[in-house]
Amino acid sequence: MKKTLFIMLCLAAALPAAAASPQQILDAYAAEAKKANPAFKSFSAEKGRAFYVAKQGATGRAASCSTCHTEDPKAGGRHAKTGKDIRPLAPSANAERLSDAAKVEKWFGRNCNDVLGRACTAQEKGDFMSYLMSVR
Amino acid sequence: MTSESRAEVSRIRVWDAPTRLFHWSFAAAFAAAWASGESDRWRDVHVFAGYLILGLLAFRLLWGVAGSRHARFASFAFTWREARDYGLRALSRNAPRFVGHNPAGAWAIFAMLALAAVVSVSGILVLGGEEQQGALSGWGRIATGAMVKELHDGGASLWLLLICVHVGGVVWESLAHRENLARSMVTGYKQGPAAEAAPSFRWFSALALAAAIAAFAHWYFEGYEDRAPGRTYLPFIGRALPQSAAWNAECGSCHLAFHPSLLPARSWQALFAGQDKHFGEVLGLDGATTAELLGFATKTSADAGLSEASFKIARSVPEREAPVRITETGYWKKKHAAIPEATWRRPKVGSRANCAACHLDAERGAFEDAAMHIPD
Ligand code: HEC
Ligand code: HEC
Ligand code: HEC
Repeated sequence: MKKTLFIMLCLAAALPAAAASPQQILDAYAAEAKKANPAFKSFSAEKGRAFYVAKQGATGRAASCSTCHTEDPKAGGRHAKTGKDIRPLAPSANAERLSDAAKVEKWFGRNCNDVLGRACTAQEKGDFMSYLMSVR
Repeated sequence: MTSESRAEVSRIRVWDAPTRLFHWSFAAAFAAAWASGESDRWRDVHVFAGYLILGLLAFRLLWGVAGSRHARFASFAFTWREARDYGLRALSRNAPRFVGHNPAGAWAIFAMLALAAVVSVSGILVLGGEEQQGALSGWGRIATGAMVKELHDGGASLWLLLICVHVGGVVWESLAHRENLARSMVTGYKQGPAAEAAPSFRWFSALALAAAIAAFAHWYFEGYEDRAPGRTYLPFIGRALPQSAAWNAECGSCHLAFHPSLLPARSWQALFAGQDKHFGEVLGLDGATTAELLGFATKTSADAGLSEASFKIARSVPEREAPVRITETGYWKKKHAAIPEATWRRPKVGSRANCAACHLDAERGAFEDAAMHIPD
């Protein structure tokens, strides 16, 4: 009985995580950013856009997020190393995007490491997401 | 049966229309199969010709009982001794003339029909075994299929030899009896006594046979009729490789989800063990996901030999090596050795690992010969 209840609770917790709205994921990053920096107020789509196109890659790395995702998040991109097509990042062009917290976190992990050689901060992730969500 | 009696000789019906249609389609199918046999690019045509030969053979067996006079097997079922005697007399140019098939010709015909059966059935077995495709897809292992291929190739060569004998005989007899035997197989008429004439040409049956051939060709090549840039080949017929949604999701976003059948199990173990240095990427998969993916990869790895490519890749990787690149296996390197360096750098290709750029069926792990297309 206890076990079933536990499993049901787990499922209940996992379900919204698997299919969340971009806003819910953004809110989670906001909470994280606030914890890291008590002065945190809000995310900026403007800064997110600058981050998206900024050429920050060290040698041997992808130059920027837009290297693979192109300058326009509504457009399909292409993986810089393998040549594989990448579907658009903006949720307005691809409803699957930013809808799975674990997936978003996984790709921030990989791609930030790819471009910056380090993990992104919650502030950077939130700014970036805000930019993608603002693209219509 | 021997003619040239004293009776009045006139232009009579001999070969009914279905027999003539059979004869020339059979010859054309053999020629097409022979011409397309070596090249992988034309395998669709080769396989089509093979099925056509089998179908025509079935028709001929039926027509050997149901056909008109000179088409019936009973009308040219001679003994070996008769055939041999006829052959010897023909060589010394004093063989009698036959309105229907002569005894030596008859033996060549039966031998060719038997070889057609051997070659077409073994062809279907090769296709089903070595390529894991076609009507008998997956009947046996790839190595068994490769063995049957010896029979298929040997039978086809013997058949070609018999065709040469047959054509030689036709030319010889035509000269000996001053008549054009090949033309009579077109028109159906020969010179002979009215008593030996076939009652009719059976046009209706010929029409039905022609319609059946056309319908089969249409059905078979339909895939080419709605040809599009991404679909320039016939869809794969046969057993599809096992797929895993998790594999396609986790391994198919940065590049093609390389099918596990393209590397041996030990390579996949090495790849997952090194997933934090995955060609400059950090995969960072959790334990459960890793176990699931590795389980699928081990089960369907090249060691299981589920496709021609996987069988040959497994064979080309030395026992103690575990390459983590498909593009470093011996078979892959051999198959792509002829592609110039500049081709790999074309914008639409970019990397050797971009299999889908040239293999339209790479997603399914099939790598069919007909689905190859190097982009410009
Ligand atoms: C080397 C190529 C490459 C670069 C550079 C790159 N990405 Fe990505 N990114 C990918 C691929 C591949 C995916 C997965 C695409 C898919 O799932 O279809 C992805 C997916 C994502 C996702 C997941 C979206 C979702 O919900 O599905 C996010 C977020 C993301 N990238 C952010 C970034 C950021 C931020 C940068 C720059 C720091 C960046 N990417 C740079 C290749 C790249
Ligand atoms: C974050 C991006 C990314 C993900 C996710 C990823 N790979 Fe790769 N993989 C790469 C890159 C980059 C290469 C090098 C491609 C090249 O050299 O063109 C590569 C190459 C490979 C190769 C070698 C290809 C060859 O023959 O040259 C194999 C095999 C491979 N990956 C398997 C996998 C498997 C299995 C998974 C899933 C567990 C996976 N990859 C997930 C980025 C990724
Ligand atoms: C630049 C285009 C190109 C790319 C990219 C490419 N191939 Fe090929 N591949 C070819 C060509 C052309 C052939 C035919 C070679 C021949 O038959 O002589 C071939 C043959 C093959 C064959 C043999 C098929 C057969 O039955 O004969 C396999 C298997 C194969 N490729 C797998 C791969 C895999 C796996 C990848 C990706 C890791 C890949 N190829 C990438 C062009 C390409």
